[in-house]
Amino acid sequence: MGRISDLLNFGPISPFRIRTKLLLLALTTLALPWAGCQYAREMETVLRESEQQSLLAVTTTIAGSLKGRQELLFRADSLSALDANTTRDITPLVLSGAPLIDGRADEWDTNARGVVRVAGPGNDGLRLLAATHERWLYLALLVRDDKVVYDGSEMTPLDPDTIGDRIWLAFDDKRGGQQRLFFGSTGGGALRARRIETREYGREEAVEEPRIDAVWQRARDGYVLEMGIPLSLVGQHIGVLIDDRDRRGAARASFGTLDVADLRATGRLIAASPDLNDHLRQFAQPGVELTVASSTGAILTRLDAPALPGDYTHMRGFLPRMYRLFLDGGAIPRGVSQVERQRAAEALTARAVLGTAESTLFAGPYENRVIVAAAAPIFAADGKRVIGVIQLAQTADRWLTLRDRALTRLLNLTLFVTLFAVGAAFWFAGRMSLRISRLGAASENALSREGSVSRVLPETAAKDELGDLSRSFSSLLGRLDEYTGYLRTLAGKLAHEIRTPLTIIRSSLENLESESQSANGPSTHGMGENARVYIARAREGSERLSAILTAMGAATKVEEAIAHSERQRFDLGALVRGAVDAYGDAFPQRRFACEIPAEPVDITGAPELIVQMLDKLVDNAVDFSAEGATISVVLRADPTLVELSVANPGTPLPAEALKHLFESLWQSRAEPDKRPHLGLGLYIVRLIAEFHGGTARAANLPDNSGAIFSVRLTR
Amino acid sequence: MKKSIAIVEDERAIRDNYAAAFSREGYAVRGYPNRRDAMAAFTARLPDLAVIDISLEDEPEGGFELCRELRGLSAELPIIFLTARDSELDAVSGLRLGADDFLTKDLSLAHLIARVNALFRRVDALRRPAEEKQVIRRGALTLDSERMSVEWNGQVVLLSLTEFWIVYALTKHPGHVKNRQQLMDAANVVLDDNTITSHIKRIRRKFQVVDEKFDAVHTVYGMGYRWVE
Repeated sequence: MGRISDLLNFGPISPFRIRTKLLLLALTTLALPWAGCQYAREMETVLRESEQQSLLAVTTTIAGSLKGRQELLFRADSLSALDANTTRDITPLVLSGAPLIDGRADEWDTNARGVVRVAGPGNDGLRLLAATHERWLYLALLVRDDKVVYDGSEMTPLDPDTIGDRIWLAFDDKRGGQQRLFFGSTGGGALRARRIETREYGREEAVEEPRIDAVWQRARDGYVLEMGIPLSLVGQHIGVLIDDRDRRGAARASFGTLDVADLRATGRLIAASPDLNDHLRQFAQPGVELTVASSTGAILTRLDAPALPGDYTHMRGFLPRMYRLFLDGGAIPRGVSQVERQRAAEALTARAVLGTAESTLFAGPYENRVIVAAAAPIFAADGKRVIGVIQLAQTADRWLTLRDRALTRLLNLTLFVTLFAVGAAFWFAGRMSLRISRLGAASENALSREGSVSRVLPETAAKDELGDLSRSFSSLLGRLDEYTGYLRTLAGKLAHEIRTPLTIIRSSLENLESESQSANGPSTHGMGENARVYIARAREGSERLSAILTAMGAATKVEEAIAHSERQRFDLGALVRGAVDAYGDAFPQRRFACEIPAEPVDITGAPELIVQMLDKLVDNAVDFSAEGATISVVLRADPTLVELSVANPGTPLPAEALKHLFESLWQSRAEPDKRPHLGLGLYIVRLIAEFHGGTARAANLPDNSGAIFSVRLTR
Repeated sequence: MKKSIAIVEDERAIRDNYAAAFSREGYAVRGYPNRRDAMAAFTARLPDLAVIDISLEDEPEGGFELCRELRGLSAELPIIFLTARDSELDAVSGLRLGADDFLTKDLSLAHLIARVNALFRRVDALRRPAEEKQVIRRGALTLDSERMSVEWNGQVVLLSLTEFWIVYALTKHPGHVKNRQQLMDAANVVLDDNTITSHIKRIRRKFQVVDEKFDAVHTVYGMGYRWVE
């Protein structure tokens, strides 16, 4: 558990740490899903293109089946009406079911391209819609009229005073004659077309045409006339005209597709052959919408798609939606309105009219519905003239579903792999950086300020590079330890080595002195006064050298003494009090202030060593204070620790010195002194403090009036 | 007849200097540079006193070995270790081998001669019956300054010469604090604080061998030591 919490607790993520780097590295596995997406897109493109190609092939095949078969494409009567077109032409849509003739426009697609629009006076206008089913032609006239005026009487349709709004219908009949019929309603509802026949004596009479069904209904902004005409009646041309009157019997304002003067129909009826749908039905496929248009672009017939296979839109959920957003971006035009979609289909048809078979892709009317469409021209028998266009549209659901399913699986997998990789990398990096920082901390602490080397490093058992590193660190530390050991004992060894020649010098000097003394008196070979001075100087020098050697060995001695000392329980307060009393005698030029708790301060330790430590501290305080200064020795105790401090007035310690004071052979004495100083005094203090489980510390007095050295010991 | 002193010291200059000093004092001196030469001579004829260095030519511990062999030849022969080695361990080992004193080469010739004289005096005193006036009695302690011997509760406490002089200085005026300098002067020796401390420790331990409850040497922290009866 400790290891796990260590792992979790490896600190903040900061840049340039190994775990951050590895984490970033692991994040590159996110390229996997990206690559997956790229692949899926490729796949999608291929699928889409093959889909488009196959749809185009089907379209071309159907177009081929219709090549030169005008009679199958168009109603026999409209064969000759292929070339020029006028705005008066009527292209009825082929319906799969008969519309209900009820005078309502709601069944009709009033925005379809085949709608004929004629503007009347003012706001008035006409929209003429046409459709065929079986052998019938259906017309719907949507008349905008700000003032609808009905006929005054059913009985007198030809009385000019009773005439209201009238609608004329004119068409060629099979014999080449013109049929002119009018509709007039006295109040809406079903009505018959009537034709004016001239009887004997020029009497005109309105005769009903029973073969035409019609219903006249008021609408919000005018009225609607819906009618059904047997196709057998109608020849090549057909048209309507509105006689709009503001009141009964008033002058008419006429507008429509007939010549106003003679009521002749000039607009052609371009209708699909009744057999066209049967022919097309053999090509019908589920999900494929089949549209045939004339060479003018007007739609002749449309076979709606039977049931759609699959349901692309059912793929809901957060991830698939995200994937799709990620994937579809750009490939498929989005947010296309129906109008735009229609425009796209029309543009496709328009290009096909010019003779190009082509396939395209656009978004459907519903969200996420993609449509593949292909259009091909239908050529006349000569293979040059375009007599019509066939267009197939198909939802792209099938391959989109396929793609999405594959992709979702792929992305889920790669996402999982990525998460796993990132997690693993994070864990690995964390572990690695933990190990490295452990090793780092250990190697940082291996060499203490005092020069002692700890050879115990973590990870030395590990078999990887970190283990190697740790092992080489260990061996390096080992060598360093030997070296520092050598350095540490160097002073002692040197002292030992120097002692022998020093002994030679000293014993020789002593002998020389003894000789000269014994030869003193009247002897002639006695030494002169000068020689004695030189001997005295040489002795002095050798004594100093000897003192230096003793000082050099002092640290080693203390270390030895520490190694051999025994701990005992004693009253530190009494010891310090006694010692400070003694210092008063030893250093008469200094005053000593002592602050010690009244009650006994018992600690466990070696009293001789403590005294020695105090000696060094006081020596130091004396050395760095002026004559007459007061050195204060303070002992404070709490249940676990005692603090012994010696403060002296004087120059404050430089910051550099504070760091090194307690190190071996460090000293910061401004002026040279007669006594040998090797900077071992405070080092010994530290050794003794550490032996007592404590620390030694130096600081300047708060007001910089001197220095304070304190030692903390555990009781 | 002149007393003979053997100096076993591999450093020729030192050996000759010591020899010169001892000769001046009227001793017959013979010097040997190594253990083999010394032992050969000693088996032929024992000196009256031996001054031995610890490291001898190729033998770093040759002096100890020599001391052991010499003690085997004679139990009474005064032996002084005189060495540049001043570690506690060496001192303890040397004294345990039966040396009468363990001195470092810091010691001046005058001090060394004083010690040698003292040792000879003791040897002589041991041969004579004890003189009462030389004996100091302090409770359980009996100290013969001539023979340099100490008894505690009638049992002999074997002290080295330095230790004896320290005990002697302490017991001369019981209750008086002797500081380190005074003790060093009394022992004719120059020692640092730690060496004094270890001498005191050794003295206490030697007394405690014969009396576990021995507690007569008191430390007066910061000042020195005193003998308490």
